[in-house]
Amino acid sequence: MNASGPSSASRSIVALNALPVIVLQALFFIAPLVITVALSFQETRSFMLDWTWSLKTWTDVFSRGYYWTIMLRTLIMAALTVALCILIGFPVAYVLATRLKRWENHITILIVFAFLTDNVLKIFGWVLFLDRSGVANAVLHWIGLPSLPGWALFSPQATLLGMVYNYLCFTIFTIYLSVSMIDRDVIRAAYDCGAGKFRTFWEVTLPLSRNGIMAGGVLVFVLSLGSFLESKVLGGGKSPMAAELIRQTFETRINWPLGSALTVVVMVIAIVTILLFLRLIDLRKKDAP
Amino acid sequence: MLDKLESRAASIILYGSIIASLIFFYVPIVTLVVFSLKEGRYLSMPIEGWTFDWYRELFNNRDIGAALQNSAIVATSAMLASTLIGLGAALAWVRYRFRGKTLFQAIAIGPLLFPQLLLAVIILFWFTVLSSWLGFSNGIPTAIIGHVVYLTPFATIIIAVQAAGLDPTIEQAAQDCGANNWQVFYEVTLPLLWPGIFSALTFSFLLSWGNFYLTYSLAGGERTLPTFVFSGIAMGSTPIYPALASVTFAIGLCLLVVADMIRRRAAARLKMG
Repeated sequence: MNASGPSSASRSIVALNALPVIVLQALFFIAPLVITVALSFQETRSFMLDWTWSLKTWTDVFSRGYYWTIMLRTLIMAALTVALCILIGFPVAYVLATRLKRWENHITILIVFAFLTDNVLKIFGWVLFLDRSGVANAVLHWIGLPSLPGWALFSPQATLLGMVYNYLCFTIFTIYLSVSMIDRDVIRAAYDCGAGKFRTFWEVTLPLSRNGIMAGGVLVFVLSLGSFLESKVLGGGKSPMAAELIRQTFETRINWPLGSALTVVVMVIAIVTILLFLRLIDLRKKDAP
Repeated sequence: MLDKLESRAASIILYGSIIASLIFFYVPIVTLVVFSLKEGRYLSMPIEGWTFDWYRELFNNRDIGAALQNSAIVATSAMLASTLIGLGAALAWVRYRFRGKTLFQAIAIGPLLFPQLLLAVIILFWFTVLSSWLGFSNGIPTAIIGHVVYLTPFATIIIAVQAAGLDPTIEQAAQDCGANNWQVFYEVTLPLLWPGIFSALTFSFLLSWGNFYLTYSLAGGERTLPTFVFSGIAMGSTPIYPALASVTFAIGLCLLVVADMIRRRAAARLKMG
């Protein structure tokens, strides 16, 4: 049963444990990936999939500016979401990990609940809140302030709000983990050497929680490449992002090869980001003594 | 003097941020609860009166009953399957060294690092190709498969964290006392892993319960609560949808609080014994 040399008995136990997940993901994750790549090299004829291998879809994808405008918009929105999620998530995670011992559990439950609650419902709630005759304006009038500007709903800004809202928890969780693993003695040592709170934070706490920040950032980036509800409902569908474009290509235009090719593009961006991140972590490990 | 100023500023930023973020998280949730109690059929301010009528209507609506039943079936099956598969994967991940382990880890975690809508799209491609060979149509079973693919990595990570903190000598001791592999697993490993397994069950149930993307793509004509609400938003809605939302909030929060109580009790017992 131990981790070193697997005997024949423990080899069958390993197989028993590992096999279900391998079968599951091979059948329903790896196979779909392969078929998606294969589909992107097929053609369509009068809205039907035609199994002939060709590069037509790919030349189409690379020659049309329209797709790349949408892709670029998606990348910019994802990058903004990452930046905001880290900026907002860090202080929250820091307080949860270092102070508030008494309330930590209650606040964690509240955050986890908000995280686990259905996205559609929360987005719907935001629409009702931000709408011209919604709660926000009613509250603003009541305290005598002017109403929200016109771009508060059905705009890229509203899409961004929805994305930050839906992905903030990921940075809070990862940063929380890395901050709570910092050895308190290191911070105390910095204080003893005469460093103030902010200096200690900048020069000790922040660098030590870098892995959590980066892991959260990568996770948010990759996940927000697939945002669909936010741009469709809060953004009003006026400036579509990649995921919406992909859905359109096989829902209304029924062009499967194009849909798969665009999926592959987003996938490649996601995978390259993850690999770069792993590379960075690796380099840092080697640097460390 | 400067020190005091610094620490006061730090406190304001830190505590302020947590209060602000909690408000931020609960703005849409509270908005929905408020609107669910509103009199009149329009979802806009001002509020003239309060009523429970929309909840009464909710319980008389047959479509919602069907969606609720589908949600319960999907979430329960996805929870059980993903936790069971995740338990095996977590043990293989933490306990054993074997050839191809890196590949195994990549496969086991892969779907988590995938945008959910794209995951739904590629599985939909695959099912459509499969159904042209095998002749089935998408429905609740295909939605469950999609959920399990997405949830198993979550369950795996949660249980693996618990398993990594486990002392292997306890199991060794049981083995030395003459227990066979199955007895060791059932009477020692499983009870020790229980808090992690329990969190995995809770997490996967709630994530499946609230899942939109995968159900939307893979359930064919069937609807669960999230896809039901989505279609309602598009049609120009009445307070019945906020009422439905509030009911799912209440169910989710109750589950979470009960789960946390059980988890903490189990953890306390673990510490004592």
